[in-house]
Amino acid sequence: MSPRRSAPEPAFATDRGGDVVTVWEAMPKRRLAVLGKWRNPIGLAGAFIVVFNVFVAVLGSQIWRLDPNELAYLRFEGPSWAHPMGTDELGRDTLARIIHGAQVSLQVGAISVSIAFVGGVVFGMLAGYYKGILDTVLMRLVDIMFSLPGIVLAIVIAGLLGPNRRNAMIAIGIVILPAFARVVRGAVLEVMGYPYTESARALGASGRRIMLRHVIPNIAAPLLVLVTVYLSVAILAEAALSFLGLGTQPPEAAWGGMLSTARTYVDIDPWLTIFPGAAIMIVVLGFNLLGDGLRDILDPRLGPHVGDVPVKK
Amino acid sequence: MGGYILKRIAFAIPTLIVVSIGIFLMVRLLPGDIIDILFGGDLSASEEVKEQAREQLGLNGSYLEQYWRWISGAAQGDLGFSLRSTEPVSNVVLDALPVTLELLILALLIAVLIGVPLGVISAVKRDRAADYAARVGGLVGLSIPSFWLATLLLLFTSRVFGWVPPLNYVSPFDDPIANLSQFILPAISISVFTMAIVMRMVRATMLEVLGQDYVRTARAKGVSRRKVISKHALRNALIPVITIVGFEIGVLIGGAAIIETIFGLPGIGYVLLQAISGRDYPVIQAMTLLIAFTFIFANLLVDILYGVLDPRISQG
Repeated sequence: MSPRRSAPEPAFATDRGGDVVTVWEAMPKRRLAVLGKWRNPIGLAGAFIVVFNVFVAVLGSQIWRLDPNELAYLRFEGPSWAHPMGTDELGRDTLARIIHGAQVSLQVGAISVSIAFVGGVVFGMLAGYYKGILDTVLMRLVDIMFSLPGIVLAIVIAGLLGPNRRNAMIAIGIVILPAFARVVRGAVLEVMGYPYTESARALGASGRRIMLRHVIPNIAAPLLVLVTVYLSVAILAEAALSFLGLGTQPPEAAWGGMLSTARTYVDIDPWLTIFPGAAIMIVVLGFNLLGDGLRDILDPRLGPHVGDVPVKK
Repeated sequence: MGGYILKRIAFAIPTLIVVSIGIFLMVRLLPGDIIDILFGGDLSASEEVKEQAREQLGLNGSYLEQYWRWISGAAQGDLGFSLRSTEPVSNVVLDALPVTLELLILALLIAVLIGVPLGVISAVKRDRAADYAARVGGLVGLSIPSFWLATLLLLFTSRVFGWVPPLNYVSPFDDPIANLSQFILPAISISVFTMAIVMRMVRATMLEVLGQDYVRTARAKGVSRRKVISKHALRNALIPVITIVGFEIGVLIGGAAIIETIFGLPGIGYVLLQAISGRDYPVIQAMTLLIAFTFIFANLLVDILYGVLDPRISQG
């Protein structure tokens, strides 16, 4: 791909908040003064959803103790007190399956983003620090991966490795790795150009020391935003792969897979479609909001959102 | 201008070559020998038979030879034969491509025709009800999975209008109305994400442009508000949006791959998924290359368009 123009920088710093802020600001200040610059309604709303999701994934099955795989109830029941989200085509409790799905999606998000994070940081640092041929080769590889739509690449890799959750996580990790590599490389190049890095080098600091003490702390903020945003991408991708039958395999409950089965019974029981889809949407929305908020707080220069032009400095 | 276009094309060609090598290697390096899978379970198959099959599939010789055979064939329109249907892969490609292109173009039109006005309204009516509605809608649009939206749309039309789109693919040349009614729901489903991106981008750039001196000058010299927005502000605000649209084509292709399966449209994504589950390697290779080609080509067009719209870029 031709070298991309860096994304135009929209006025994100000023484009947030609005009325939400005014209402917010009308509230007693002291209560939230502790939060300081963290007082960002968008980010807080996202953080709330994310924390709730983690809570459901970790403690949900302790509170709602039905077995997600037990075929013990009437089939296609609508929401009721006994089954707040109804039961599915085999008489399994949908709420229990949604809770299990939360665990699955969080696990996939965490593992695939970890793969991308570690790989991206290593490759990005190598490319940015050593430059030269290594940089050219690595960035060419990144270009290849950017020339294929992420989900298509994930479908091909997951499909060829064989359809199961482990392979889906590997595929998603590989697909989002270049985004991390590119941002890290850009940030390393920038930090390496600053006088403090130069003086550290002049004082005789080793490459490793410069990386660990100077470069990493200075790219922590963009990395944090990237992790949040790509958690949402990974969760959505896993749902899509499971929906296509390339991720988590039935009978295990995963939101994408539940949606896929529900599609067959959409005329009989629309609830089966509504709950898993809403779960995916809310969680993805939560991570998106949190990412947006963090971006505003940590670095307004970071540029536009996921799905926009990759940020390249 | 001519030089600028040539330079852009010259950039695209090596990328395409590198991408084709990447795809070639990916299909080969991922575990699972094609021949073993084809003869799966058939332990009586002798080495000789396997070798023969390998030769038939163009899998003999070094990687370099194989790659050369594949890519030089591809350049001449020969992509080998499907392992499953034994049809030439080029036929499979020619059948699938128009379906996906139609879907992409429709989705892009919907996204831009709705996303741009929403972004403008949101920026002009900043911090008013319309702005909030558009922004909240934008965030929801970014988060809603297209495959869920598709199911909801199907549910909605079947419950409310008692209508479901025709299930067998109809060519636009046979029956344009039936064809359109078949494409409209999938196109809406995949356009929503892009629409949200376009809307957010237009809003951000419009806000920036509206704060510029030349906008104030135009207003000060008595140009109407409406005219300032449409002639002065929007034109400049749209330029960065074009870049986004180029990148979004990739997202749309990805979305199309999933959505085609839901609606049974025999496009690239549908064929690719079938090929993956059938381990039909020549088809997988060809479809992936085609997707990369479409994406690179779309970005080339966007680059050129960008140069036309903003002379600073093509001359700088």
